[in-house]
Amino acid sequence: MSTHEVPDSLKYTRDHEWANIEGDTMTFGISDFAQSSLGDVVFLELPEVGTTLKQGDACGVIESIKSVSDLCTPMSGVVEEINQEAVDNPALCNTSPYLTWLVKVKISAMHEADQLLDAAQYTEHCAQEHHE
Amino acid sequence: MDLRQTSLYAEHVKLNAKMAPFADFAMPIQYTTVKDEVAAVRQKVGIFDVSHMGEFFIEGPEANDFVDYLMTNDFKNSEPHKAVYSPLCNDEGHILDDLIAYKINDQTVLICVNAANVQKDWAWVSSHVGKFKCVAKNLSDDFSLLAVQGPQTVAVLKKIGLDFDDRNFPYYSVKSCLFGSSEVIMARTGYTGEDGFEIFCSHQLAPVLWNKLLQEKVTPCGLAARDILRLEVGYPLYGHELNEQLTPADCGVGWAVKKDKASFIGRDALRTNTPVYQAVKLSLGQGIPRAGYPITNAAGEVIGEVSSGTISPTLNQGIALGRVKRAVMPADKVMFIQIRGKNIPATFHQKPFITGGHK
Repeated sequence: MSTHEVPDSLKYTRDHEWANIEGDTMTFGISDFAQSSLGDVVFLELPEVGTTLKQGDACGVIESIKSVSDLCTPMSGVVEEINQEAVDNPALCNTSPYLTWLVKVKISAMHEADQLLDAAQYTEHCAQEHHE
Repeated sequence: MDLRQTSLYAEHVKLNAKMAPFADFAMPIQYTTVKDEVAAVRQKVGIFDVSHMGEFFIEGPEANDFVDYLMTNDFKNSEPHKAVYSPLCNDEGHILDDLIAYKINDQTVLICVNAANVQKDWAWVSSHVGKFKCVAKNLSDDFSLLAVQGPQTVAVLKKIGLDFDDRNFPYYSVKSCLFGSSEVIMARTGYTGEDGFEIFCSHQLAPVLWNKLLQEKVTPCGLAARDILRLEVGYPLYGHELNEQLTPADCGVGWAVKKDKASFIGRDALRTNTPVYQAVKLSLGQGIPRAGYPITNAAGEVIGEVSSGTISPTLNQGIALGRVKRAVMPADKVMFIQIRGKNIPATFHQKPFITGGHK
């Protein structure tokens, strides 16, 4: 886990999702650190459009060849869209994790953004986790 | 506890392998992608560091008799230079481990056991050896083990200068061979279903062979690829398909129990044993089966469980080994694997998912 990208423009969760907030919508996916730890991502199960999610809810599943992980939403809201291209080609999570959004959510509680990590905090979080 | 390192540890680090603990060793899980490593072994040739595995040598006039007594399969009547796969059972007929025994010569047998079971197996072997005219040595710390697997194995091993006659070297046989002036033990065995050799050698020689093979564009492969390769050809793994609660017939390895042998550990129990489980091979059209997932029947009742599961990169579908209670095995073999509450229809396979190209 030597080097991994953490773009400054995004927010992050401690569970290694990234969130891109634009107005009242958020797209989220998994971080470079996450995809590198998981290895080859081979299967995605994403929530149905219209599902109401609470911050931190497990709303999907990411399977790599060796493991199964929950996908948790960084903020509360209603699922507006899922990325079918990623479902059809889950390896996009490995090759371009930050261009591969998985779920688009209409945000219902904007203040929750304050609880997310910025790039510096997330980088620190990954370094700690790596040394545990 | 500090993890142990094989003689190839520095090579793995150099290749930037993802390392993880396995049976007290820091072992390479993957170097590039699992998919590429699996494809290399199926189509070309790959190399694995499996030096964590255990090596016991049995030497003396009754070495063959002792090994035959330890194992459920027939060793005594096998020809010189043959390798024999067998479960290692206790008196109750339950599986302590599975192993390959190599008939090096009339008075010398090499037994290769699983890394996680070396201590347990050694205690078992050394506690029984006294009844026979032979000695047992645990040389696990003295040997490195390379597995070179795939259709191009013979060509590449010859190219780096290993001296052996492949036309006189059948599948599941063993010989001492020379690399320069160094002796190595070569066996035409493996855990991938492909043609290949396992090479037992000194710690000094292992990095030399490893790097010569890398120069010939042999793909380094990690334990993740190894696990998928063995699953695709339906080979059992101790701790998943095999364990101390089960007998060989519960796990699909009943063929390796020769009940008519005069004397072997577990004989009485295995002659009267009625197996509880049947081993099954199942594939899925959607989803990825994982160890522990329930196997259900058409009525949705749980009848067994998955013991190993993954996505096969070769077939691009979920494949599983599992066990189902014989008493409730559906006659039509219609089964499902439960994934996160949903019962996904499974296809029952009589044969391995993939036929490897081994000789």
